[in-house]
Amino acid sequence: MTQLSGNIDDFGMCTATLAGPLEARLRAVREAGFSQVMLDARDIVDHPQGLEAAVAAVRASGLRVTGLQTLRDFEGLTGQLHDYKVDVAKALLEMAAALGAPLLLASSSVSPHASDDPQVIARDLRKLAILAVPLGIRVAYQALSWGRVVSEFTTAWDMVCRADVPNLGLAIDSLHALAAETALDDLEFIDSRKIFLVQLADFMWQEARTVEERMATATRQRVFPGEGAHSVQVGDLVSRLAAIGYRGDYCLDVFNDDYRQMPLAMVAERARRSAAWLGEEVLQRSVPLPNAMRLKGRGAIAG
Amino acid sequence: MTDLPRDREALGELPNPLGLDGIEFIEYATTRPQALGQVLEMMGFRPVARHRSREVLLYRQGAMNVVINAHVSARPHSVKPTETPVIAAVALRVRDAAAAYRRALERGAWAVPTHVEVMELNIPAIHGVGASRIFFVDRYREFSIWDVDFVPIPTVEKHPPALAGLHLFGLVQYIGTDRMDDWCEFYGELFGFAVLPDEQRFGILPKGRILQSPCKGFYLQLIEPEPGIVDIEGDESLQRVGLGTPDVPQAVALLAQRGVEFVENRDVHTEDRGALTRNWLGGLMFELVHSAR
Repeated sequence: MTQLSGNIDDFGMCTATLAGPLEARLRAVREAGFSQVMLDARDIVDHPQGLEAAVAAVRASGLRVTGLQTLRDFEGLTGQLHDYKVDVAKALLEMAAALGAPLLLASSSVSPHASDDPQVIARDLRKLAILAVPLGIRVAYQALSWGRVVSEFTTAWDMVCRADVPNLGLAIDSLHALAAETALDDLEFIDSRKIFLVQLADFMWQEARTVEERMATATRQRVFPGEGAHSVQVGDLVSRLAAIGYRGDYCLDVFNDDYRQMPLAMVAERARRSAAWLGEEVLQRSVPLPNAMRLKGRGAIAG
Repeated sequence: MTDLPRDREALGELPNPLGLDGIEFIEYATTRPQALGQVLEMMGFRPVARHRSREVLLYRQGAMNVVINAHVSARPHSVKPTETPVIAAVALRVRDAAAAYRRALERGAWAVPTHVEVMELNIPAIHGVGASRIFFVDRYREFSIWDVDFVPIPTVEKHPPALAGLHLFGLVQYIGTDRMDDWCEFYGELFGFAVLPDEQRFGILPKGRILQSPCKGFYLQLIEPEPGIVDIEGDESLQRVGLGTPDVPQAVALLAQRGVEFVENRDVHTEDRGALTRNWLGGLMFELVHSAR
């Protein structure tokens, strides 16, 4: 039995963790034993041969696409600002469709121009989800820990409930939950079928008190689960998600300046170790049966 | 001054927010307009007009307008005509097309840029399922869109009567796995369609879920792939048109005389409730449904 046979099918990496050409990143993810990848829109658009070549590279990689990230600061705007953000959202949705990405990640607004009225936020999220319907894309709404109105997954969940659209759900990011010190007991109130994505990362210090510190940590100093100062909490989060019935994808959402100057295979190997730790030790899964089939349909597994 | 009720209570939106009033036309795209025209004529339609500037024909029977579009658009995202005719557009009759269009865009519809020639109508459209479009038409009473963009074919009856009371009953849309709720929300949010209870079914093909238009004049039937069958990615489309008739056996008999064949097998066969034509040109079919109107 090789080291690649661990039960990590529902874990994936994110292109933004790695440096180098898109093709090399995808190959490193695949060779580390992952079957899926979260695409960062910037990594797609950055392809020197353009979008079509990036789409071809993703399609040729053999990796399942977890989703496309990130639509930022969409909700709560009015007039021209709103129209502008709708154009941005449409461009990302069309990219997602071209890439075969079934999900678009939208992060909570940090814009000082945005309304703090929950009704307005919910209405805009609803519109975003309706825009995504014809393309067959689900929208996962994520609370940034420095979000202006929505900074915790509990508030994000409230907005998702208010918006009340089938293809709008929640993305939970462990790093933002840890930074915002949201009580994990609150996961009990969330319908696991409406959690569309879980992003996992840790950081090296105990606390990130100020907004500046949170931003610097989240954008440049994330590490893989199991490598940071909150392994117990990340493990606890994953166990609780499994306990409430979450069976969706986990994305190792690590942005780290050091990892961006290390050989790809080395970083991907760290990711694999992290996923194996989560899958085998935290979730205590056995290795998969030979020829195990994934059940068809997202409802079938969440049921 | 008396308070309006909505100043006092949250009444929500009134039913039929767009003033929807049925379907003005259905458009097929095909590279074989003549072959499709023959099928439509067998089904009781007559060609009545042709477009001023494009390879587009209008067929009519009773209150139904069917457009055959063989014009190849250079635009991306538009339906590229294929040999097998596909339903490329549905035009909804509304109270105010501009207002309906604006309201749809505000709620998350995708605008379709229209490219009209001089003196032609600019009919607003949004993206529907797959590459199809949904038009909003408000000129269908005192004068019609056909008077502007189309030239009547000389000597033909402009309003041929309907065979056996045939009228437009609805459309069948194929959707992807787990997409039922998404599409119900889409049609509810943008147009005010309501999901019918599962026991309410029409015709002989009762699968999926049925949505009723807010004008209660037509229906959409959404059908998911069979569980266990691998569905082809992105395979969502308007699959067929349902025609209503007060007397299905009579309609079947009249159509059979004109050469229309109906599916007769263990699962699907002609009944008083409905019937299904064979498919032509690689996938075109019509369903007949018992409907008193």
